[in-house]
Amino acid sequence: MPRLGEKTQYWLLVLPALAIMIAFYIVPVLGIWQISVTEPASGFGNFAKAAQSNAVKTSFVLTFRVAAVTTVGCVLLGYIVAYAISNYAGRLTPLMLALVILPFWVSVLIRSFSWIVLLGRSGLVNDSLRGAGLIDSPLRLMHNEFGVLVAMIHVMLPFAILPMLTNMRGIPDAYVKAARGLGASEWTAFRQVYFPQTLPGVMSGALLVFVLSLGFYVTPALLGGGRVLMISEYITYQIQEFLAWGLGSALSVILLIATALVLLIAARFVNLRNALLERK
Amino acid sequence: MTETTDFEAKRDIAEIAVERYKQGRLTRRGFIAAMGALGILPALNSKVSAQAKEIVVVNWGGTAKDVLQEVMCDTYTAETGIPVVVDGSGPSAGKIRAMVESGAVVWDLCDSGAGSAIILEQQGMSQPIDYSIVDKSKVLEGTAYTNGVGNYVYSYVLATNPKMLGGNVPQSWEDVWNVKDFPGMRTFRKSVRGQLESATMAQGVAPEDVYEVLGTEDGIAAAIAKFRELRDNIIVWGSGSDSQNLFLQEEVAIGNIWSTRAHLLKDQMDEGAFQVSFNGGVIAPGIWVVPKDNPAGSEEVMKFIAHAQDPALQVKWLEMIGSGPINPEAAALVPAELAPWNPSSPENLATQILYNDEWYAKNQVSAEEMYIDALIN
Repeated sequence: MPRLGEKTQYWLLVLPALAIMIAFYIVPVLGIWQISVTEPASGFGNFAKAAQSNAVKTSFVLTFRVAAVTTVGCVLLGYIVAYAISNYAGRLTPLMLALVILPFWVSVLIRSFSWIVLLGRSGLVNDSLRGAGLIDSPLRLMHNEFGVLVAMIHVMLPFAILPMLTNMRGIPDAYVKAARGLGASEWTAFRQVYFPQTLPGVMSGALLVFVLSLGFYVTPALLGGGRVLMISEYITYQIQEFLAWGLGSALSVILLIATALVLLIAARFVNLRNALLERK
Repeated sequence: MTETTDFEAKRDIAEIAVERYKQGRLTRRGFIAAMGALGILPALNSKVSAQAKEIVVVNWGGTAKDVLQEVMCDTYTAETGIPVVVDGSGPSAGKIRAMVESGAVVWDLCDSGAGSAIILEQQGMSQPIDYSIVDKSKVLEGTAYTNGVGNYVYSYVLATNPKMLGGNVPQSWEDVWNVKDFPGMRTFRKSVRGQLESATMAQGVAPEDVYEVLGTEDGIAAAIAKFRELRDNIIVWGSGSDSQNLFLQEEVAIGNIWSTRAHLLKDQMDEGAFQVSFNGGVIAPGIWVVPKDNPAGSEEVMKFIAHAQDPALQVKWLEMIGSGPINPEAAALVPAELAPWNPSSPENLATQILYNDEWYAKNQVSAEEMYIDALIN
């Protein structure tokens, strides 16, 4: 049997995935780009229309705000969980890991619906608070941005925990021990020795959550009460209600460009190659 | 003119199938038939319809399909021996046009909307209604077009939960906008359909002048401003089942919802916890349209439409699915306990306005944009 060159082997291995990506992702995306400048008329009319619309601007601001707050919330909570698992879980680590991954087995739709059961006007939270005599009338916990954020952070949390956990488990504890041995306090050892080593994990977790949140659809639609209109829902609305494929496509192109810009800006401050590809 | 048929409203009637089945109002066989209609039957029907002397009626699936078959079609077959089959695949104007242009028309009669009926007429895709067979006096005024005629109605109504409101129930749209005396959350549709009318009446405009006021840019802006003013008290419903859930879970006590959903809620909510007012409601008709060159021929279809005008049959339709009779004579036959829920009873008609498709064709797209902006910005 003739031996294949290393290059050929490489391409043969990459080929199936690449073919699927080109056929089912790259080509449709290019199709969307094309529709955005050809329907209903050739040119950049759709983009001009989007730029003039207040609703589009508001929706974009809202989308980026929700994504940013979700990211901060996920990183803060996720860091604590990842830190606890990698440093204190010991033999329980597989169980803890399973608990983090478990929510992936339940669809986002179901998880969002369960928040409705919890946060509703006569939901579990409001009923308990009222039963305990803490409030007189139900609090508005959903059908607003608050409800969307709570549920989004819940849904996105594993995406923040997993990269941070992988990163933390790769950090030898010799460094912290050495710092402690040389007289650093526990806090100083964490801040100056441990924390800097976890930054790549934090960055990849944050980017993952942020980018996923930008395009999120189900949770805001269910818990936002129609007034937290993320850009992805706005696009759906244009296409389904008005058959405005041109404007809908233009909006998704803008979202794609905006996301790319965020990544570019992030790249100025952190080493993306480091954060996303290499484990330290 | 743009396509203005409210596909969501039509599809919603399909969803009601599931509800009725759960409540035990629909037999299992009926349920399966209705569900099958959503996907499988259209393919079968196109084969069946090749036979001569059969009428294929097309609507939007679900219970509506099942009920239409039982109430209108089977009774016609019993009378005349001519088989009538309901296809639930959704006769959008686009599909009808594609069918007529391809020269392979398999549909005889379509449950369409006024907007589509007018477009199809302009494009020469439909046939005139023969008013020597179909009785013009047996449909609601304003629903007898040259190439289309009314078949049933549904309304946008003011629904309230008196229990949550402590008996202090808003009686008009003006009250709905009065947050001080009527606190709590309200629900409106995530579309201007049937909603801007409420906001206009809330400014004190008489119902009959609503579309005239909305005909000006200032009128639209004023209605939008009303929503901006109320938005902190608004939860938006997307689908008919959304609106139903919001009432069931007591998220809202006041709302502008479809009368067909109200028809379900009246049975699901506790005694005294749900009521509707047709005061300032917007009534929208479904319109029969006959595609050009339909296989069964014009005359056969006209006879069927005339048969479906029978008031007794239309009352049965109301009882089973909440669609209001298009025939004004039917109101007298509606059982007393159902009369307040009938969108086309004389009392309810007197306080409602007819949904204006022409206004929507001209203004909907720009108004929707402003509406979203008012709600979120």
